[in-house]
Amino acid sequence: METKYTITLCDAEFSSEHSIGLKGAFEKAAKANSLESGLRFTTCKTLGLKDKGAIVVVNPGYFVYGDVTEELVNKIVAEHLVGGEAVQENLIKEDHLFNRSFKTFGDSEFFGKQLRIALRNCGNIDPDNIDDYLANRGYEAIAKVLTDMTPVDVIQEVKKSGVRGRGGAGFPTGLKWEFTQRSQADEKYVVCNADEGDPGAFMDRSTIEGDPHTVLEGMSIAGYAIGASKGVIYIRAEYPLAIKRLEKAIVDARNAGFLGTKILGSDFDFDIELRLGAGAFVCGEETALLNSIEGRRGMPRPRPPFPAQSGLFGKPTLINNVETWANIPVIILDGSEWFSSVGTENSKGTKVFALAGKVVNTGLVEVPMGTTLRDIVYDIGGGIPNGKKLKAIQTGGPSGGCLPVEYLDTKIDYESLAKAGSIMGSGGMIVIDEDTCMVNIAKFFLEFTQDESCGKCTPCREGTKRMLEILTRITEGKGKPEDIAKLERLGNMIKKASLCGLGQSAPNPVLSTIKNFREEYEEHINEGKCRAGQCQSLLSYVINDKCVGCGACKRVCPVDAISGEKKEAHLIDQEKCIKCGQCYQVCKFKAIDKL
Amino acid sequence: MATPLEIIEKKKNEAIERLGAKVSQSTTKINVGMATCEIAAGSRNAMAVFRDAIDSGDIEGVVLGQKGCAGRCYLEPTVEIFVPGETPYKYGKVDAERAKEILQRHLKNGEVIQEWLI
Ligand SMILES: Cc1cc2nc3c(=O)[nH]c(=O)nc-3n(C[C@H](O)[C@H](O)[C@H](O)COP(=O)(O)O)c2cc1C
Ligand code: SF4
Repeated sequence: METKYTITLCDAEFSSEHSIGLKGAFEKAAKANSLESGLRFTTCKTLGLKDKGAIVVVNPGYFVYGDVTEELVNKIVAEHLVGGEAVQENLIKEDHLFNRSFKTFGDSEFFGKQLRIALRNCGNIDPDNIDDYLANRGYEAIAKVLTDMTPVDVIQEVKKSGVRGRGGAGFPTGLKWEFTQRSQADEKYVVCNADEGDPGAFMDRSTIEGDPHTVLEGMSIAGYAIGASKGVIYIRAEYPLAIKRLEKAIVDARNAGFLGTKILGSDFDFDIELRLGAGAFVCGEETALLNSIEGRRGMPRPRPPFPAQSGLFGKPTLINNVETWANIPVIILDGSEWFSSVGTENSKGTKVFALAGKVVNTGLVEVPMGTTLRDIVYDIGGGIPNGKKLKAIQTGGPSGGCLPVEYLDTKIDYESLAKAGSIMGSGGMIVIDEDTCMVNIAKFFLEFTQDESCGKCTPCREGTKRMLEILTRITEGKGKPEDIAKLERLGNMIKKASLCGLGQSAPNPVLSTIKNFREEYEEHINEGKCRAGQCQSLLSYVINDKCVGCGACKRVCPVDAISGEKKEAHLIDQEKCIKCGQCYQVCKFKAIDKL
Repeated sequence: MATPLEIIEKKKNEAIERLGAKVSQSTTKINVGMATCEIAAGSRNAMAVFRDAIDSGDIEGVVLGQKGCAGRCYLEPTVEIFVPGETPYKYGKVDAERAKEILQRHLKNGEVIQEWLI
């Protein structure tokens, strides 16, 4: 029999034992009504409705029941599942903004274990159709603000929500708004940072491509709150589709009267324009970004003055990240009280991560703050593929660190991640398994930052280069015993002596891997060994007795290091071998060992 | 004068009406993922299959829409089918071949292809 109803049990607000009990009750009642084969059960972590007790969602139709007891289960089975009429009195009918995508996706485990605030509409609405956004209470938050909130009310609401910047540093958003509001000037600016330069990160791109209007609405609300009438979105030219969607959204919003003069019949004027960046990582740094918008070289400048005092064209400027903006309409409509009920003491709401690397379910996930790394990697991510062992989790991209397995139960919030030796960052999360060399991964990130350094500060410009040289020689088996100490000394110096966050954080991947995986560095240096088998120069390729003498390896070897007659065992000349691994790739008989 | 909230309420209802004009109570809706990642995975091909079927009159009472990325990278391209009164069906890895089969089996014959559901 086909699935008739999908029952989603929500187990975070209540204990999971309770939801197991409820599942039992469902099964029992279903059996009594000979309905059992038509039911499918899924679980979800949280619906963000803490005060509603145990929650059960019945699909089709997305009926959400609150305060569910076993007694109610019997009633739901009898009246709803059998009778076809929902039990009205326990239905939760509020039309919340958060978790809207649950109506479509909530019954699948991958989504059920998330809580979606910033991504609420992503994958759920047509991003090119403003009607779809409006139908999902779009622009209602700005309307509410214009109808019955003063600018100070708005700032208070954002402050009370406890939301912090999602672009990396985690600065309290409400406070930043307040500073900018208090700065006196004839003109102020609101800026959206959509530069997203971290390798592997695509949270902001997806948000814009899936729900561009939410960014516009968030920025307009801030414009009203701080007294600005101009907004700028700084987005990299490498995101053509996101740019196209934003351009259309801006035109549609103007035509519908959500941007421009006298917005929604009020006295508030606000308009937004796009500025395209050339895709330099450092241009994501706020002061470099402002320079770039002004048409100058994208180089950071010293703070203070902070953009809140003197930003774009010397005027007070409020800069927030795309994801931060996407949270604002929810804070206004669902309220700061609700928003601050999600998360941990000092980190409220959710965070979007781009989950990548050696994990089964790669993708974009949004989880409440306080979720553990284990939950993300195993529960949502589905664990490590091919039966491999987890080695580490990298967060924060090129500014972050690598946490070993011991830290799996670390809660995701700004403080806990920092205490564990990494950072929240903007949302990159790379899962690393035993086949990845930690020295190599540190080298990968340093190559990136070294390349992206703007060159203004000598420690950042030259120091990262020296560090990279040392790392390169370690991975080539030419490391010296004093290299680890040298890396640490250089790293700490660069952190202290650099002007902007790029230099201040560039050594982090190296320092954190030295701290947590020192033995791998030592093995490379002292024993010339790479346990992950990733550092090519430390490997040797040797032909074993499975060789049938087919000659395939001999033909591909670019340096003629392989000898042997046809149909006889071949041999690799280790002196000549450049360790390119092509013979290993081409051998069909598993006759070449990588040692 | 109407307050901004009253204006937005009106605009919302108009939007819902406009959307509803396309989708009646009995229409099936197909959503195809059209973000950069989805397109890179080949969602345009799936889109083309459904678009052709609708344009040529091969299937009727079906509207086709696009949506952003829901975050399920390794299963992209993704396609959702909304049939009134049924839990939305979410299909993964919908290339042109799968799109054709979904068209034949699910949309025309009402058979849910369980093994491709997410
Ligand atoms: C090297 C560097 C790159 C950065 N890149 C980004 C970025 O791509 N996007 C972003 O929002 N913030 C980035 N930031 C952080 C910004 O400087 C700034 O803190 C942020 O945009 C503020 O917004 P928020 O408070 O909403 O996080 C970067 C910072 C540094 C030092
Ligand atoms: S720390 Fe590096 S990127 Fe930042 S200003 Fe100095 S040289 Fe430029």
